[in-house]
Amino acid sequence: MSKHHNDINPDSCTACTSCISHCPVTAATRKFRGPKMMGPALERMRLSQDDVEPSLEYCSNCKNCDMACPSGVPISTLNMKARAQYFKTRKQSMRDEMLGHGEKMGKLISALPAGAFFANLGMQVGKAFGIMNAIGISDKLPLTYAGTSFIKQFKELKQTSYPDKVVFYPGCFINYQDPQVGMDFVAVMQANKYEVIVEEDFVCCGSPLLVTGYLEECEQNAKKNTAIMKKWTDKGIPVITCCTSCGLMLKQEYQELFEIDGLAENAKMLYDATEFLVNLDEKGRLNKEFGAIEHRYMYHAPCHLRVQGYGLPALDLLEMIPGLTIENADAGCCGISGNYGFKADKYDIAMTVGAKLFETIKESGVDTAVCDCGTCRLQITHGAGVKAVHPMSLLRQAYEAKK
Amino acid sequence: MKENDVIVIGGGFSGLMAAAVAAKRGKKVTVLSLGAGTLSIASGNVDVLGYDKNGKPVANPKAGLSSVAADHPYNKIGQKSLEEAVQFFLELTKEEGYAYKGSLDQQQWIPTAAGTLKPTCLVPMTMDTSALKNASKAYIIGFESLKDFYPHLVAKNLRNMPGYDQEYEMLMVDPKLPAGRDVTNLDIARWLDSAEGRKAFVAQLRATIKPGSVAVIAPVLGTAPSHAVRDELEQALNCKFVESVVVPPGITGHRLRIMMLNHVKKLGVKVVEHAVVTRGIVENGQCTAVVTEAIDRERTYQAKSFILASGGFYGGGLVAEPGQAIEPVFNLPIAAPTTQEDWSNFQMFSNEAQPFEKIGIAVDETMRPVDADGKVLLNNVFIAGRNLCGYDFCFEKSGNGVAMASGYKAAMSV
Ligand SMILES: Cc1cc2nc3c(=O)[nH]c(=O)nc-3n(C[C@H](O)[C@H](O)[C@H](O)COP(=O)(O)OP(=O)(O)OC[C@H]3O[C@@H](n4cnc5c(N)ncnc54)[C@H](O)[C@@H]3O)c2cc1C
Ligand code: SF4
Ligand code: SF4
Repeated sequence: MSKHHNDINPDSCTACTSCISHCPVTAATRKFRGPKMMGPALERMRLSQDDVEPSLEYCSNCKNCDMACPSGVPISTLNMKARAQYFKTRKQSMRDEMLGHGEKMGKLISALPAGAFFANLGMQVGKAFGIMNAIGISDKLPLTYAGTSFIKQFKELKQTSYPDKVVFYPGCFINYQDPQVGMDFVAVMQANKYEVIVEEDFVCCGSPLLVTGYLEECEQNAKKNTAIMKKWTDKGIPVITCCTSCGLMLKQEYQELFEIDGLAENAKMLYDATEFLVNLDEKGRLNKEFGAIEHRYMYHAPCHLRVQGYGLPALDLLEMIPGLTIENADAGCCGISGNYGFKADKYDIAMTVGAKLFETIKESGVDTAVCDCGTCRLQITHGAGVKAVHPMSLLRQAYEAKK
Repeated sequence: MKENDVIVIGGGFSGLMAAAVAAKRGKKVTVLSLGAGTLSIASGNVDVLGYDKNGKPVANPKAGLSSVAADHPYNKIGQKSLEEAVQFFLELTKEEGYAYKGSLDQQQWIPTAAGTLKPTCLVPMTMDTSALKNASKAYIIGFESLKDFYPHLVAKNLRNMPGYDQEYEMLMVDPKLPAGRDVTNLDIARWLDSAEGRKAFVAQLRATIKPGSVAVIAPVLGTAPSHAVRDELEQALNCKFVESVVVPPGITGHRLRIMMLNHVKKLGVKVVEHAVVTRGIVENGQCTAVVTEAIDRERTYQAKSFILASGGFYGGGLVAEPGQAIEPVFNLPIAAPTTQEDWSNFQMFSNEAQPFEKIGIAVDETMRPVDADGKVLLNNVFIAGRNLCGYDFCFEKSGNGVAMASGYKAAMSV
């Protein structure tokens, strides 16, 4: 029995309505007709006529429908394929052009001298002149860039060499906006006697391109990344991500969307950092010399992690740290879903979707949330007004507390 | 961690019930679950036995047990375990602040969206009909643009039903939802989740509803397993609401699922979503682990015992193939009629149960799978829910009852 496949068959849909009941965007707005109508039902129509339902733009690709479906229909990917079809004959807005190509923006800003200064200022200037709003990007969410990219910081770093190696795929968000997560990951791996390899030639995983309808560009990126990863996975060296959306794209969406040599072989060797560490623990190979962190946190599980079907390894890891207590918020989607919440006309929907999570976090009284996804962390800080950190940062802190 | 006392395959009602019972017994439990299960679209009542094998209504589910066929799951579970399961479940619902009502000694006949009555055993308090039965007159509340609940039909038909022969008056509420897709009960329930929705609802009804009256309404009093929405509206209008059974998505099932999930998580159960179990690793009749398959790779989960609660044909617990039905995880033999023509009774409205619906796994008294000769096939695997053979839940109205009791029995056997 194979529930996951790339030959998408809309006929496995039994019209049970489970996906509609669990779609957070459907819950937040009546303008969206919902996953069942968007996915399988319309796919059948699409096969016969070249007609695309305009409310398709409302789907955030959060994948809660996929999780609710009893029949393994990859509903969200059907939606994204339909969106790409739509943009074959139309041009994306400048907003989508920008949001789809966050990597370009990151490159540009990090290439500027005195990057940090511009990074923070850039957005402020844009905001002041109403540029963001004019092109349809919400200026309410902070979109800032780090002064020095992860790649640059990594190059400066002196690692201890070990025979065990992993390749790290940083992704745009960590590289340009939150490099500290990448640096913390390297420190954690070093504490576990692994040497980290970073490939400078990796490009954006393509997730933002996919959701803005740039399927062909997404495929180009997929080909590049796949070839680079294959070089290492062929040698038995795993590739690790700290961003769940990148991980999902590299492991799953590539396979659902494209036919590229090496996809399946790579996927076998691709890990989210937290799953990799839990597996180390199972082999008795995890360094458990954690110092205490006397603090209470709340964890938010990104949808793009939940849909991968291996539970919440971050919780298993963090529970090993003495003194640390962590509770699963278990409050559904945060609403941001990659770049969805950055769209000015989707901002309110995204905030409505995330309302339950924000409330849960606020009610808990914690001052810091923990989450594996970068844009979720932005959204949590924006919506719940608390700090948000990656699990790797806490693990690093725990190792350092022991020293 | 992947090491467990018990792994439950399937997060439907039977799986979550089994997880709760095992966890209460101090076991370390992980649920591997694909999809949201029938629970979230069903109506959340626990039917135990509505009709006997001849299609005659059962007045007292406990007494009716003696009438079921020898290979019926209730005969494996036993009356004592069924009673304990009911007790366990009722206590669970109280603990969670969303109490259910009912007992094995009394069938409850509750109104449907078409104004007919449906037999069931345990219902959420919001479906308790005692106030309705005692009223001389009642309202039927409908919503403009909601197609899944037919107030005129309810008003017309219900008065012909024994015990419900009072006068009914139809009242319409306009939720004024922005245009868009079709309006479902879920949309109305979400509207009443919001403070503005509740305010508008009360404002529209305040002038017409007489204080102290009773009203039948679709299951729209909030999406959460809580009485907060109902209590607020009842207080504001000084009126008692009785929720009816509706077509999917039936919000009461959604509430039941959330309550069960909340409960098992509080007991420390790990629920792994979107995990597809494809096979078990079995040595000498003993299962050591099960394997999930995702698009990237397989993952192995070890445990001392396993509860297979993967449901029926809907959801993939059983799979129909030409000429046969299979159980895809352990490849257990399926007790089924030999020719496929026998599978469905072509008389749609026949008075007999559908042979197709009775297809499933045969078990012993501890819910372990057995072959045709009654020999136990797997020592530490226990079966619960729709995948059991020997009953047609749809015909006899026993779906959640068997799920609940077999989940309980399986978890007591691990
Ligand atoms: C529309 C509808 C309304 C109903 N209304 C009522 C009612 O009012 N009262 C009543 O008593 N009964 C009702 N029933 C029947 C009742 O819902 C079911 O009989 C009962 O809930 C079955 O529970 P289950 O746990 O055995 O199966 P399910 O609810 O089907 O759960 C099985 C779960 O296991 C998962 N699964 C399957 N294979 C795998 C695998 N390989 N790996 C991981 N997970 C897997 C499935 O995806 C599913 O989530 C209704 C049924 C339907 C369809
Ligand atoms: S991906 Fe998310 S927003 Fe899109 S249809 Fe599915 S659940 Fe709804
Ligand atoms: S949940 Fe799956 S089977 Fe059910 S309606 Fe949606 S796509 Fe179809």
